[in-house]
Amino acid sequence: MAARRSKAKAPAKKAPRRAAKSSARRKANREFVSEAEEILDRMREDLVDLGDQRTNGIEVDPDLVNQIFRSAHSLKGLAGMFGLDGIGKLAHHMEDILDGLRLGRIAIESPAVDLLDSAVALFTALLVDIEDPALEEKHTRDIAELIRRIDSAVEEPAPAADELAGLALDPSLLRALTEYEEHRLRENIRRGRHLALVDSTFEIIAFEEGLSELSAAIREVGEVVSTLPSPGDAPESQIRFSLLVATDMAADQLSSHLDIAGASVREVRRASQAEAVESVESTSVSGRPRDQASRPSATEAAASPPSAAQAAGREAASVDSRSATARPETAELESLRSISDTVRVDIRKLDELMNLVGELVIHRNAIESIAARLSTDASAARLAAELTKTNKQLDRKLKELQAGVLDVRMVPLRQVFEKLSRVVRRLRRDQDKNVSMDFRGADTELDKLIVEQLVDPLMHVVRNAFDHAIESPADRRAAGKPEDATIFVQAFQRGNHVVIEVRDDGGGIDRAKVRAIAESQGLVSPDDELTERETLDLIFLPGLSTRGEISETSGRGVGMDVVRANLAALGGMVEVNSVVGRGTTVSMTLPITLAIIQALIVGVAEHRFAIPLNSVLETLLLEGHEIQRSEDREILNLRGDALTLRRLSEEFELSGTRNDGKQYAVVLGMGEQRVGLLVDDLHGQQDTVIKSINGPIREIAGIAGATELGDQGVVLVIDVSYIVGESTRRMEAA
Amino acid sequence: MSEAGSASENGDWESLARAASLRGADGEDQVDLLRELLSFRLDESPYAIPVERVREIVRVRKITSVPKMPSWVLGVVALRGEIVQVVDLRMRLGIPSKSTSRQSRIIVLHGDDDRITGMLVDAVDQVLRVNEDAFQNAEVSTESGAVNELCVREGEFVSIVDVDRVLELRAD
Amino acid sequence: MQRILIVEDSATMRSLLASTLEDLDAAVKITEASSGFEALRCLPREEYDLVVTDINMPDINGLELVSFLKNNDAYSKIPLVIVSTEGSDRDREKGLELGADAYLVKPFDPEVLRQVARDLLADESGAE
Repeated sequence: MAARRSKAKAPAKKAPRRAAKSSARRKANREFVSEAEEILDRMREDLVDLGDQRTNGIEVDPDLVNQIFRSAHSLKGLAGMFGLDGIGKLAHHMEDILDGLRLGRIAIESPAVDLLDSAVALFTALLVDIEDPALEEKHTRDIAELIRRIDSAVEEPAPAADELAGLALDPSLLRALTEYEEHRLRENIRRGRHLALVDSTFEIIAFEEGLSELSAAIREVGEVVSTLPSPGDAPESQIRFSLLVATDMAADQLSSHLDIAGASVREVRRASQAEAVESVESTSVSGRPRDQASRPSATEAAASPPSAAQAAGREAASVDSRSATARPETAELESLRSISDTVRVDIRKLDELMNLVGELVIHRNAIESIAARLSTDASAARLAAELTKTNKQLDRKLKELQAGVLDVRMVPLRQVFEKLSRVVRRLRRDQDKNVSMDFRGADTELDKLIVEQLVDPLMHVVRNAFDHAIESPADRRAAGKPEDATIFVQAFQRGNHVVIEVRDDGGGIDRAKVRAIAESQGLVSPDDELTERETLDLIFLPGLSTRGEISETSGRGVGMDVVRANLAALGGMVEVNSVVGRGTTVSMTLPITLAIIQALIVGVAEHRFAIPLNSVLETLLLEGHEIQRSEDREILNLRGDALTLRRLSEEFELSGTRNDGKQYAVVLGMGEQRVGLLVDDLHGQQDTVIKSINGPIREIAGIAGATELGDQGVVLVIDVSYIVGESTRRMEAA
Repeated sequence: MSEAGSASENGDWESLARAASLRGADGEDQVDLLRELLSFRLDESPYAIPVERVREIVRVRKITSVPKMPSWVLGVVALRGEIVQVVDLRMRLGIPSKSTSRQSRIIVLHGDDDRITGMLVDAVDQVLRVNEDAFQNAEVSTESGAVNELCVREGEFVSIVDVDRVLELRAD
Repeated sequence: MQRILIVEDSATMRSLLASTLEDLDAAVKITEASSGFEALRCLPREEYDLVVTDINMPDINGLELVSFLKNNDAYSKIPLVIVSTEGSDRDREKGLELGADAYLVKPFDPEVLRQVARDLLADESGAE
């Protein structure tokens, strides 16, 4: 620990930054591939279904087309996010085909539909070679060619004369249509669909729920062209929406399909149709408007949704084919429902929730201090006591809420292990090494955010083991080991931490070689006395790790500084143990979650800092004369032991501190080491959420992060391991 | 308020299709020719950065100084739960620093990875759509190297700031 | 205190509009809505003195929002500015026909927007 801090500092700034950039790119590509693969898998399955419907001459299920559209859309969004323009463009053109298909602009028999399969095939090929810059030009050509073919297959039909003028629609509604919505309206008229206005009134405070329910019901049988809000009968509290709907159903059937109390449906006639406006009220009086409206055919009503085709007055044959598709549709709905008790949640939303919890904690702290102030006022003492009691209950519930949110964020390591196993399978194919993986503890859970940050370092360590630690089969035979090597990856929980061990049965790390190389690089002097552990820890020095030779001869070193930095950023640590000839174990210890911690707030001059309370052993109030000098350091007699003191003002180069008179010493402990940190003031304890600091400077020496305190703005959180380590190093150097 | 979810995130068909069609209808062909820039001022001179690097624009708030940082990092601010470093663009470009005014703003930039950074400027102007033809190389290499292009806008040169260069960490 | 509601789905544009309007001479309180629905939810909560809206948004479009405001007695007097990339004459005509007080095309000149906002806010307070 001590050695790594001291020697690491100077070169640490430059090297990892470069490495970070290209590894970020690689990481981004990997992320893209794994997500894109998922989308493509889904698309492939859906396209098979689409192909089946096509060859069987069944009318295309719009939901299926929607689903493929969404996949293409997700892929486009994903590609955009990762800056992969070619893939994005191709996905966009797939959307064109699917859009046309859905609007009936493109017939299912069209050769354009075949191009969907070609696109998926091309995507698959692109993903495989995404990392190969040599193929970039070829990809660009392939994409351009396919896009050209799609473009020629998806020609827009010439626009017809304006059909909108003849619609029996309120001009104010027509006026509020954007050009795009007008285009959709024309499109639907051209297809001969019925147009209807669905009016419904909602309470303003909760309109979205009701409206989305209504829209969803409409979308089952048609399309919402526009959604026009207007004041309800009680304008302060209500809002009415007029939905312009295009559907194959006549108004009465739409009304019965919707089955939503209070929604009125009226057919919008065209100039060619009768002048009269037919109005069907789906009233709340009947309670079950479906029965009422479906009266014309009792059997129809008994069966699932009234057939759309019948309303459109088509011939019997087409009715049959419709009802044939109707059943699988409902079956699909049911199956959707059964899997919907798990929800995929964007981790950022959970972060927001977590932030909210953090903010609530800040408010709770504020209430507590108000209660404390009130209790000194005799007249308010009783209320203060009640406030304190209520605040305690609030605190309990907050803790439960916090635990609940944290629990949602927990994911098992299984997925990470599966990724590792895939990588190793590929390595095994490429290299002549027979290595088997042995995973244990895949069910161990960690915060999703930590898991994501963990993938890279873990991958690194496993690759190191594979590439460098495991000897060739011949060497293994010579050493009397089984030819087949094994890498064990084991995860388990220890207290509030999760430990992940990567153990190999390879050649181990030769300390003498590590030392020799460190000396040749000027990272240690030949006179330095290092313990076995300290020598081994040299592999974490960035200067050392950039050299290829050590990794080849001794089995470790490539990017171990990066691994260490990544884990430190998560509040974790990494340790290495190795026995020459027997193998190496890399243990990574991580906090289970980035939870709320208790912190001590200290002050120096006008600055405030937070110190995680779990590293604070005690605080002392010192008179100036209690501080003694010993050579260039200050010490304190703490119950007979000499405690090294460090001044926070010097550590952080802060001016305006009190240098004599009273000082507070915050006794920090980490591992076996103790340091007394001198500060001007103590400002009490607070619950804090430590957050990482965004910005160009990635590592700030001595700062672990920052936290927001209600009344004091942003307060920096001190990295205790740095202060303690720095202090020990100085002592050793002395 | 501004963070609240919108229907577009729910990905319903209509909004997806609408968004797709809008891009196709009036975006696609012009996208290659037009660049969107957010323009702002240092003293009275106009500068601009690509709009896609801008996450948001916020008023100046209390900046907590951070020890041992290069002088061009003013400190950190809290931004809806995130802690963000603020870079003084004036100092970064070698222009003497000055105190903030009512017009001063922090432009929050997307950096690489998921990181964001605040950039202090004297005033924010507008979003410009500038034709590719209007750009020219800055030719002169300035000390910071952060202005690599100029564009002409209403007879005035707008300096295009290379965001990555501004955020790049050099040994100070 | 003048209350302004900004309705715009692009975060950058929203933030720019807010930033521009914060610099009016009067004290202003700005509410940002990222969609038409959100705007509809904001409206009953405060009495706005000015609404600035985009046209293309994911749920309801800006024209629909304008139509709603102008047809509602509670809101019909609130001055309305459309700021949109839809620069076609027809859209402009539609917006103004529906009752918008001004129509600015993106990219807008911040000084023009501020002037328009100042004028509209002054008119409104004069009328009361």
